[in-house]
Amino acid sequence: MRCELRLTRINPNMSAAVVESLYAKAGSEMKAGDKLCDLSVDLSSGFSQYCPPISYYRVVVREKVRLQELLIGLGDSCDVGQLMAVFGTEQDDPREGAPARSLRITTAAIAHHSGMWSASDR
Amino acid sequence: MTSLALSCGPLEAEGYVVRRSGMHWLHDDGYVCRPNEVIGFCNISLEQASGRRSGKFPLAGEMELHVAFAPRIGGRLRISDGNSPGGYLNALGLHVWNPNDVFGYLEEAQRDDDAAQANPNPGELRLLMIAGRRMSELADTNIGILPGWHSRSRAWWCDQPGSDLSTLLCLGLCDAAGVVRGNETPFVEAFEATPSPAHFVYVPDHPMVPCAPILLEQLLRSPAQNEALAADLSAGLSGGSVVPNADDWMFAGALLSSLQNSPMREKYDVLTPAGLRQLGPADTILLSMAAEVRSVLRHKKLGYSVQMLRHRQTAAGPAIRSWLSSAFEPVKRTVDDVQRDYRKLIDAVAAQTGARVVILNRMSTSGFEDITSYAAFDAPLGDTLENISAKEMNLMLHDLAKDCDFSIVDVDAIAADLGGSEHLPDGIHHSSAMQAMVRAEISNILNTADQPKSN
Repeated sequence: MRCELRLTRINPNMSAAVVESLYAKAGSEMKAGDKLCDLSVDLSSGFSQYCPPISYYRVVVREKVRLQELLIGLGDSCDVGQLMAVFGTEQDDPREGAPARSLRITTAAIAHHSGMWSASDR
Repeated sequence: MTSLALSCGPLEAEGYVVRRSGMHWLHDDGYVCRPNEVIGFCNISLEQASGRRSGKFPLAGEMELHVAFAPRIGGRLRISDGNSPGGYLNALGLHVWNPNDVFGYLEEAQRDDDAAQANPNPGELRLLMIAGRRMSELADTNIGILPGWHSRSRAWWCDQPGSDLSTLLCLGLCDAAGVVRGNETPFVEAFEATPSPAHFVYVPDHPMVPCAPILLEQLLRSPAQNEALAADLSAGLSGGSVVPNADDWMFAGALLSSLQNSPMREKYDVLTPAGLRQLGPADTILLSMAAEVRSVLRHKKLGYSVQMLRHRQTAAGPAIRSWLSSAFEPVKRTVDDVQRDYRKLIDAVAAQTGARVVILNRMSTSGFEDITSYAAFDAPLGDTLENISAKEMNLMLHDLAKDCDFSIVDVDAIAADLGGSEHLPDGIHHSSAMQAMVRAEISNILNTADQPKSN
């Protein structure tokens, strides 16, 4: 069965998130508890004249899946509802057709860390 | 219908003539105002009285100096003509202060409330003095209340002669700044909620984050150490491989100003209805635990600490960034380190100035989380997960309070009561309702504390 990951509204005031870290690539086999990505959410939509209200989150998968398509890259800004990745729950899941459901994930607020895209000397 | 004349009341500075600009009204004619709500303001300047020899002017370092006006009782505002000529005449101190000047009237005045009963002249406006010390004298923007860039701003009710003014110095991040300085007209929200005599001082969190080791070093640094770090900064900028640009020099000036001054030691000139007074160092210092970053930069040669919030670092130019990366090394801070730093700071403040320390703790829960396993989060979890970090820090603070004399404002509990997602969506920026509750909590702490020390 194919399932999808779309950017959920982690915070009711957010409109988008930036991809800060990626822990898997297309073809990766993932099990429950594996890290998928870190995101930053800037409630000022990335342009604040003042102290920016930025929070960081980690997305963790909660089921055994294979990452079929990764549609995001480091530094990408994703809108709420945007398709970020497609997964298959079985080895021989077809790589075409509409996903049957959303990927089961955990999301948690994390501290900024040196491995994030925003910490790099880009 | 009776109306009540609104006069500006006494304001004196012995040896000086107090002058004021035309009136800036913050509300229109017909506005229904509340007791203690600021309705307008004037700029203020001091002029030496005839026969007085030139000398140091009081408040000379505070080039923004306003007096804001608030009615003692509520009612419908009626503005008198002729007090607000506009243009530069509303900025320059062209009028000698006259306590009998009438700016307007209150209709439907609530004369039967306690404030009206308590004051023999209920139409005499309350005076809220507001002063700003510019980061640079170049930062002049003569529009509105406290325009421009200030290294320190402050306000105090100055309509009660002989009353003790207790100074609250805010050295926090946005969670504390919003409570003290507010987000509408500077200080106005806080003083409407604090009708008793009070003096609030705000020092911004830039360029350096006001964490305990940095504040402690500011407090204890000697003049010789100040000279040494100024010389080192100068050599680092001019002798490095990167040519400094305008952003570098601006940042360096602000950084040096921050390094060489301790707000906790500063004394304050205040204007009152009975004349000029000088207040000693702050009676209470308000800190944010959110400022206790988990890493500071320590100078490799001179050993002092700096740290800036990430969004402040982007204001630095390439030469400052190069200097920070070559002349400093990062030093990690554990929760125990933060506790040790707090203890040193609180003890040093008590010994040096006698001030009481009040600390805002952190919100430690998030309604957006659904963690079912910690496997995906690197140990120690306090370094990875924000809610665990906040809980560890809050616990540390409560442990410290057992044998160290300071007060905690339980932001965590207040946010949980109000609803964190609505009133504290990112854990640091409060809604006005949240600010009002934190302000009330601070007020309770101050009211139950000992009387302020004599100045």
